[in-house]
Amino acid sequence: MFNYLLRRIYLLCITAFVLTLIAFTIEHLTVHTHFRENTFTHYLNYISAILQGDFGYSIIDKKPILATGLIAFSSTLELCLFAFIIACIVGVPLGIFAGLYRNNGLDYTIMSLALIGLALPVFWVAIIFSVLPNAFGWAMPIDGNISPIYEIPVVSGFLLIDTLLVTQQYQFDAFLNHMIHLILPSSVLAIFLMSEIIRLTRHAITMVMRSNYIKAAHTKGLTRRQIVFRHVLKNALPPIIHQLRLQLSTIISFAMVIEIVFSYQGAGIWLFDSIQQGDYLVLSTAILIISGFILFSSIIIDLLLVFISPTKRKSLYADQ
Amino acid sequence: MSADKLTDYHLLMRFILTYISLIFLSGCYQSESTLTNSLIYCADKAPSSFNPQISHDIATLDATTHQLYNRLVKIDPISQRFVADIATHWKVNENKTRYTFFLREDVNFHDTSFFSPTRKLNADDVIFSFKRMLSTQHPYHSVNSDSDNYLYNHPFSNLVSDVVKIDDHTIRFLLNKPDATLLANLAAHYSVIHSQQYATQLLQAGHPEQIDFKPIGTGPYQFKANSSKNIIRYQSHKSPWQLPANIENLIFDITKNSTKRYAKLLSGECDIITNPASSQVKHISKNSEVSLSSQPTGNIALVAFNTKKSPFDSAINRHALSNSIHLDTILEAVFFDTALATNTLLAEHSWAYNPRITKISYSPAHSLQELTDNKFNFSQSLRIIAPVKSSIFNPNFYKTAELIQSNWLDIGVRSEIVLLRPSELDIALQSGNYDVYLTGSSPYIKDPDNLFRPLLSCNASALEGNSSYWCDTKMQSILDDTLLEISFIQRVKNYYQLQALLQAQRVYLPIAHLLRFDVFNDNITGIKIDPLTGINFHFTKKNEPIDMREEQ
Repeated sequence: MFNYLLRRIYLLCITAFVLTLIAFTIEHLTVHTHFRENTFTHYLNYISAILQGDFGYSIIDKKPILATGLIAFSSTLELCLFAFIIACIVGVPLGIFAGLYRNNGLDYTIMSLALIGLALPVFWVAIIFSVLPNAFGWAMPIDGNISPIYEIPVVSGFLLIDTLLVTQQYQFDAFLNHMIHLILPSSVLAIFLMSEIIRLTRHAITMVMRSNYIKAAHTKGLTRRQIVFRHVLKNALPPIIHQLRLQLSTIISFAMVIEIVFSYQGAGIWLFDSIQQGDYLVLSTAILIISGFILFSSIIIDLLLVFISPTKRKSLYADQ
Repeated sequence: MSADKLTDYHLLMRFILTYISLIFLSGCYQSESTLTNSLIYCADKAPSSFNPQISHDIATLDATTHQLYNRLVKIDPISQRFVADIATHWKVNENKTRYTFFLREDVNFHDTSFFSPTRKLNADDVIFSFKRMLSTQHPYHSVNSDSDNYLYNHPFSNLVSDVVKIDDHTIRFLLNKPDATLLANLAAHYSVIHSQQYATQLLQAGHPEQIDFKPIGTGPYQFKANSSKNIIRYQSHKSPWQLPANIENLIFDITKNSTKRYAKLLSGECDIITNPASSQVKHISKNSEVSLSSQPTGNIALVAFNTKKSPFDSAINRHALSNSIHLDTILEAVFFDTALATNTLLAEHSWAYNPRITKISYSPAHSLQELTDNKFNFSQSLRIIAPVKSSIFNPNFYKTAELIQSNWLDIGVRSEIVLLRPSELDIALQSGNYDVYLTGSSPYIKDPDNLFRPLLSCNASALEGNSSYWCDTKMQSILDDTLLEISFIQRVKNYYQLQALLQAQRVYLPIAHLLRFDVFNDNITGIKIDPLTGINFHFTKKNEPIDMREEQ
């Protein structure tokens, strides 16, 4: 286990080094002002500043970029999480149905819908979703994270938590308002995620259903539902999680595009506004924050997989 | 169908039903429009500062003039007369060169997290506010202001020689010469009163620039915060000297996209929006759930002919070429009927508007004849310049230019369109290297001199407004004489004469007078919109939405 972790951390260090080089190049080419320093000294200074948490100050609001970036990115994570929950609630059952009724009318319908979801450009769906509620007469908010009426002090950076800390002032109104603001952007993101989850679940279920132990369970006289809940789901889950891990960066990029359409104050809007106003230092910081998160989370997902799937445990000892 | 499959289908149906019922839960959501102590105004632009003395754009005026500040006098919206605001009354001497103002003694400044006043408003505050504009020696004179553009931005500099304190609540304006526009200038947006005590505190702290970004005034709302997320917060004045505002929290939400602003109004995220897309105005006016307010502004879209160069140095050519432009098409295609067709520079609602001047008629055949008779050189190509970006004068300069180009091509006159960025435009205007310039004019005050002088005075440069390079001694003397004229009737007569002369010379071709549009939900009442000084939320009231009242 320890060796496995160590191997992962080695890999992390190398990737992090490459990332700092990219971030440094951007910083060096765009906002570098100390022309007397040579590039190597500048890189060392840059790395030592980063290690001390000093990513510089924004030229727009004169606030530390790291703090602003982390708050913005936590909003993006909230959006991804909310979308993931919606996608799982809808996508997993549909994927199971599609897998159980493979090559059936139900399967074709579900898969067609999933393919449409994958084929639609995400920004277009976002624009359509911002218009649709009004067309149906629903008063759904289409702009921002929360109504400006609520003044929420930043404590954790996650609005879902911070709104719960001000219940004395606003009761649960601010929390509910934020949840409602999350519905449309996360639904758009969920469409893409859902398509992915349906495809992956269907494939995994089909594979598991063909295995001998399921046939054995049938012959034992277990009902279909018992087989699915006891054996199929448990064994279909690891490949789904593994595949979703690879989709993490795509999901975050999609979330950032959706944020711009819905003016959702996350990393997407933060980057977009900063670049528009020529605050290029934000670019290198954003690269480090986002890619750092993806690196760490992929390690955590790997560890999670090891814990939930006995078959994966062999990777602890395998020579990879 | 097997029993297993049957139960699966039941499960699926149960699933679908649960999702549908979840969607209906969104009906439980009550939008922000139900909170009656907070008002969200969705503006199209962020203010450039919080001081209308240094920023004259309408976004700044909306965010400041009536919300944060008061002036010595103001214009009564109904009678259009000057009435007291911070001043209780005023006296004028016989020569009309000394105006003495008597101030109220109960005016409180805002008490905020960054400033707590220890005294009420007095003559020092008024003198500080005006001296900042007038005196180059004033410590705040150059703070946050662009020195190159200084005279242009400050009409007081040529008008007032000094402002003196008589006692704590009496001040006197000494004029260079009698000038009928003083009161109009004092009621203008740039005559707001700041706190001298706050300015001194900032100067001691070494941050004088904050005076225009963390403002302190006497208006019905006080500044609370301006976040980088395009949200500006105000709260009602804690110890108001006038009637308190009905709204406790006033929020400016800057939403740049006009379609999104309208969508936010419909979803209840905004209570009031400004400047809807010209193309949507017709649709909005048909929506019974919202009210559309349209106000004529002094802003005018116009075509300036460069009279220093051939062919526009000839009045016949100017007439002929302007009569070959079909203004109705421009109005329909560019402005989507959000502007009023016009024949003159002065808006019809102005007291000096001359209704008897000749109208501009579209007659291309006649224009062609006139040009041929005047030996117009049809082989030359006219250079039409226009700004790249749309402005308050014109939502689409390029389309306007294209329509003019096509009209002229119909009578055999060729032209090229050149779109320029602001810095390039300044260079082109200074060099005079153009024949036609698509522009506009937005007067600060209702006095006609404020419109005519920048456009027609020999002393005004092309950058200041005289992009036709026009200089005519007769018009100049009318302009100067009218400024000194005390008799109102004579002033009206003079402006009538000026407009007749202008029409005969056709120095500019007016395209349209623009309207200001604001849209608000039906539960909002008491909004006052002054096209010159901005929106006023002092007496705005937000009632509960009609459907909620019915439920109760």
